[in-house]
Amino acid sequence: MFDYTFQWKQALNRLPQMLDGALVTMEIAILSMIMGIALAIVLTLLRLSGSRPLIAIATTWVEVARNTPALFQIYMAHFGVASFGIHFSPFVSILIGITFNNAGYLAENFRGALKAIPDTQARAGRSLGLSELQSFRYIIMPQMLRISFLPMTNQMVWAILMTSLGVTVGMNTDLYGVTQDLNALTFRTFELFALAAVIFYLITKTITLGGRLIAARLFRY
Amino acid sequence: MNKLTLIAAVLSMAGLAGTAQADKLDDIISSGKLRCAVVLDFPPMGMRDANNQPIGFDVDYCKDLAAALGVTAEIVETPFPERIPALMSGRVDVGVASTSDTLERAKTVGFSIPYFAFEMAVTANNKTGITSYDGMKGYTVGAVAGTYEAIALEAQVKEWGEGNFRPYQTQADVFLALSQGQLDATVSTSTVAQANVQSGNFGDISVVGFAPFDTDYVALFAKRNEYGFLNYLNLFVNQQVRTGRYDELYEKWVGGEVPQLVVPNVYR
Repeated sequence: MFDYTFQWKQALNRLPQMLDGALVTMEIAILSMIMGIALAIVLTLLRLSGSRPLIAIATTWVEVARNTPALFQIYMAHFGVASFGIHFSPFVSILIGITFNNAGYLAENFRGALKAIPDTQARAGRSLGLSELQSFRYIIMPQMLRISFLPMTNQMVWAILMTSLGVTVGMNTDLYGVTQDLNALTFRTFELFALAAVIFYLITKTITLGGRLIAARLFRY
Repeated sequence: MNKLTLIAAVLSMAGLAGTAQADKLDDIISSGKLRCAVVLDFPPMGMRDANNQPIGFDVDYCKDLAAALGVTAEIVETPFPERIPALMSGRVDVGVASTSDTLERAKTVGFSIPYFAFEMAVTANNKTGITSYDGMKGYTVGAVAGTYEAIALEAQVKEWGEGNFRPYQTQADVFLALSQGQLDATVSTSTVAQANVQSGNFGDISVVGFAPFDTDYVALFAKRNEYGFLNYLNLFVNQQVRTGRYDELYEKWVGGEVPQLVVPNVYR
């Protein structure tokens, strides 16, 4: 029988600390998205390069990022690289882990988007005297980013949620880490994690709705 | 006739009320099973043997409690942060999980009298040259998230105003980070520190001294409103000491001088 008396006030008293944590969570997610998009574009270029070793590097990255647990990737970014004497702080480790994951997934999104753009466009650009890179930069890439804009907001949501894995590498300033610390202190597990879930939900919902609004405004045909 | 039905109704209501009042202690005895939350990542209190079976001080303590109740013990592995959800959701009856009995936590769960007491020790990576508790000032230190020592150490680092504190999820991760040099030093229970240094799994680390924290008394916990059961737990802890079983278990799993479970100059 569930005979537990909820003490919401104890959790609400801690709301300011949790909101500070939410800021750190958003900071990690935003930085990892910016770097993830940049890296995904590089990976896409590597895959288009036609050079076997470069394609192999990009393919390996995408395969590992998409087919292993995010927890594993983040753990490796902290404990894995440390066995080679490279030390990252928890913040940097989680940032690297999520960026790696973002880049892999986004590269795959970009690949899908590229398929939706007719080859003839690149060829038209080439015939107008643009170099291969220029035609990618000015003709293909803007369309690619437009087509994959909504999937990108999905990845942003995923990045927000992945920050909760930071506790495995010693993070305690993000939303999940703060909540866990408060839980250890007070044992008010249900109230604190319910509050954290609401904050997570509000953040991710804002991102999806915001993404849709931006898309509607920017991508009118 | 009317009177008779009334009496029958009263009797049946009393009967219903009687079953409804069965408390946790009754439930455990009638189910024939005692489910204990034990942390199995916390040697020598809770760990697994070569056959993956749970062993340790807390495991034996749970088995003793079950034997006293005349039921069979069931060990439910709960990492530190999951002890309370396991209790509140009814997955376990009692926590035998080296849980510090802080006043803040006692607002949520009910604690027995202390059944064990820890001293805290500082373990450092030898490369850092840290030789004492105060020597940790300015370094990166860590402990297991959610433990008594983690809360105390984090407060200390804030007070020092330099250095960093990092909580990891398990004791194994803390010592892994320490051996890799990600952490310069850690504070853990002296029992854990000795066990891990002696295991040789974590390279060039050593116990360099005690941490001047208050003795960390740990207690059994159950739901706060289960007075009957908590009362039984208190007597059980008392009997364990009285019968010499506490000393016996301490010798078996830890060894050395047995910590006192009483606080001078105060009742309980």
